[in-house]
Amino acid sequence: MRKAMFVLAVILAAVAFACGGGTEPTVEETAAEPTPPISETLAAVEEAPEQPSTDDAVTEAPPGGIFRRLWSDPPTLDPHLVTDTTSAFIVVEVFSGLVKFDTDLNLVPDIAESWEIDPSGTTYTFRLRDDATFHNGKSVTAQDFKWSIERAAAPVTASPVADTYLNDIVGAMDYIEGNADSIQGVRVVDDRTLQITVDAPKAYVLAKLTYPTAYVLDREVVESGGDNWWIENGVGTGPFKLKEYSIGERIVLERFDGFYGEHAKVDFVHMNLAGGQSMAMYENDEIDITGVGIFDLDRIQDVNEPLNSDLVVAPPDFSVFYVGFNPNFPPFDQPKFRQALNHAVDKELIATEVLSGLVVPAYGILPPGYPGFNADLDGLTFDAALAQRLVSETPYADFLTNVASDSPYYETAQAALKESPFAGSGNTPRIEVTVPGTGGTIGLDLEVVIEFWRRVLGVEVDIVQVESATYLEELDLQKYQAFYAGWQADYPDPQDFLDILFHTESSLNHMAYSNPEVDGILEEARVEHNAFSRVSLYQEAEDKLVKDAAWLPLWYSGEQFVLIKPNVKNYKLTPMIVPKMAAVVIE
Amino acid sequence: MWKYIARRVLWLPVLLLAVSFVTFALGHYGPGDPVAVMMGARYDPDSAATKNLRRELGLDRPFHVQYVDYVSHFVRGDFGSSLSLHRGQPVRELIIKKMWVSAQLAFAAMLISLAGGLPLGFFIAHRQGRWHDPTTVTITLVLMSVPVMVSVPAMTWLMCLKLSWVSCSGWGGLFDLRIIVPAITMGVPGIAGLTRLMRASTLDVMGQDFIRTAQAKGLGALTIDSRHVLRNAIIPIITVLAFSLAGLIGGAFITETLMGIPGVGRLAVDAIFARDFPIIMAITLIGASAFVLANLLADLAYAVVDPRIRYS
Repeated sequence: MRKAMFVLAVILAAVAFACGGGTEPTVEETAAEPTPPISETLAAVEEAPEQPSTDDAVTEAPPGGIFRRLWSDPPTLDPHLVTDTTSAFIVVEVFSGLVKFDTDLNLVPDIAESWEIDPSGTTYTFRLRDDATFHNGKSVTAQDFKWSIERAAAPVTASPVADTYLNDIVGAMDYIEGNADSIQGVRVVDDRTLQITVDAPKAYVLAKLTYPTAYVLDREVVESGGDNWWIENGVGTGPFKLKEYSIGERIVLERFDGFYGEHAKVDFVHMNLAGGQSMAMYENDEIDITGVGIFDLDRIQDVNEPLNSDLVVAPPDFSVFYVGFNPNFPPFDQPKFRQALNHAVDKELIATEVLSGLVVPAYGILPPGYPGFNADLDGLTFDAALAQRLVSETPYADFLTNVASDSPYYETAQAALKESPFAGSGNTPRIEVTVPGTGGTIGLDLEVVIEFWRRVLGVEVDIVQVESATYLEELDLQKYQAFYAGWQADYPDPQDFLDILFHTESSLNHMAYSNPEVDGILEEARVEHNAFSRVSLYQEAEDKLVKDAAWLPLWYSGEQFVLIKPNVKNYKLTPMIVPKMAAVVIE
Repeated sequence: MWKYIARRVLWLPVLLLAVSFVTFALGHYGPGDPVAVMMGARYDPDSAATKNLRRELGLDRPFHVQYVDYVSHFVRGDFGSSLSLHRGQPVRELIIKKMWVSAQLAFAAMLISLAGGLPLGFFIAHRQGRWHDPTTVTITLVLMSVPVMVSVPAMTWLMCLKLSWVSCSGWGGLFDLRIIVPAITMGVPGIAGLTRLMRASTLDVMGQDFIRTAQAKGLGALTIDSRHVLRNAIIPIITVLAFSLAGLIGGAFITETLMGIPGVGRLAVDAIFARDFPIIMAITLIGASAFVLANLLADLAYAVVDPRIRYS
């Protein structure tokens, strides 16, 4: 009995601790992951967890210098298994693939020096560089790529993202499902020529191939190294070699002098993994880069503060936060009710007054700067009277009777109610908004949103907080009436937001939202050749989704503030993870 | 005595079996799923990727098969591989080093608590009713009430940024300067409890007949204190120490995170949120074993300190 109590105590204590202080700092640039609730993001805009390396063998500074940063343990450094930004940041420096994004997010050649697309738009013929080698000196061939792509997709590899990034290749899904011996669409023409055939002329194929799932690995190294081949022998093709990985302590990257592209300038990158107070360590010159949290922001932005000159503004990452509505549950079955919830919230006020301008109010779905972003989108802006009228036109008009008489919106609510054919029905379904997380506190932003709903529409909601692991499981069951969530770009293409989150057939459409008209447009856009028409199609779909109020879009990430030591040059802050360390110079 | 020890030790596997069963069942039947955590926002139970992952991790097998498999590996010293947190990496290597770090830190903290609490408690027991007594108790209680989220940044600011005595964070082992801040922040709150316990226990002993006898015999105050009072007053402290001993390997999540110490506390919390069952299991079972063994040690220590206690 005592032992059982102990187990319980361990779990309870752990949970209590987590509630007290568990904030995982985020990366200043991010790629392919579910975004955390905004409350967490705001609590932790620091760069990343990590800490100083005072006791390393390389204490006398090498000529190229050492770039030091705080980081946290990557869940894996096997490129084919990477799903998170913490791992991806390292993987893109140690490994590489056919194509990549540069720091301005242009798609550029990497190991493939050129490629041709056949007139049907489905066959890509890549010409590989002849000077690309693995860190162990072996030359990279088309056979290596074929083996690597098949290894990434193999059922035994069980990559969580193989079907996300490789599914367009002909035969890849059969192979992932274990029904084929090879991927038909990947063909070796000769040592230097690789042909990839996709199932339809999709514009985003190359963008997907930039992801580590399609990176090249050395077959011998992987097959002889077991599950954790990369820890002892992380042989890649990138500008840096993985010199050391000591769990919970540090990762050391060392410049690879045989790299085929632009050689790295720094000799080492030291990433300490144990955690620590990033800001204090930066001030004590233990690390070269740190994010600035919301509590240090005022001090750092003061021009009299010496650190002010180190301040750099990082571009927002491509993410959006929203409240999703499930139209199968009343009152969300009424588009007008969903629209009313949109019109009832003054997002400008919340962004400036509550969230210190760290976020950008969202009226659409695609984030600013992202391909397909529509600056002219006509969103559902704050209009209390309109919101009330919309509610009065639904069977749930009686919510308006709850508007308090001291609310500034009382008079208009009463007026709208008087006109309503549904007044007096007493039909006010219970509304439950599910929020991921622990600790019983929801984001400040959501609290204010709920307050707007209450004051303007008399809509009371219950908040249910569900711990993240459970939340993910239940989202999939489409059992939430309404939920708070975020989405972050995997690759720069509007398909990654609109098709994946709103198509009726998409397994990630957690709202169970279904709009045949939108589905039609999305399907058309998938195979549209012309880039311009394709963007128009996506913008049309986005416009319809916004007008139909499938979501209450809340925020796009705002700019983040980062301190970089003045002697560190060419460190580019990017909205997605891309290889960037090779360009960094330490003076 | 030996029979007693043997009996206690023999109970250990039975207890561990019970603990492992409960923990395993909680993980298996409770909400949340490591596969969902790994798939993140893209989790779809019917996708090929999810199915492949579940199969490769062995999570598609029935509960009893998984449990028996786990136990049979555990008894051979194989704690399995991490699922979601450090996919595929052996749990034993992940936790042993971290536990050792946490243990050293907790040991240093415990020394500070003892060095502060025992003399203080003993001292104020002799000043009962005078101003020393409430003042000391109040001060230690105030120190205990400062949460580590406050004391760690405050100490860091003072020792690292202002005085530059130590690095702001990091870990170098028991004999490295960087242990000072975390050990103090973890050890000082413990002084309050030990002071009060020591005070009460000292007062209790001082009121006993044998002390009065000793005084009546004309023994010096110093002799009475050192030979009779202290030795008897320390017995209840052993229990507390034994429990702290078991807690040594548990780690301290907040301090470890704030101070950049690669201990097991943070790993445990991360493992729970990521539903990384093998890590949770290993930490729980090692914790339970340590608890049982520490209790046994405490019982044995009683017998050494107090000749009246006999085990048969």
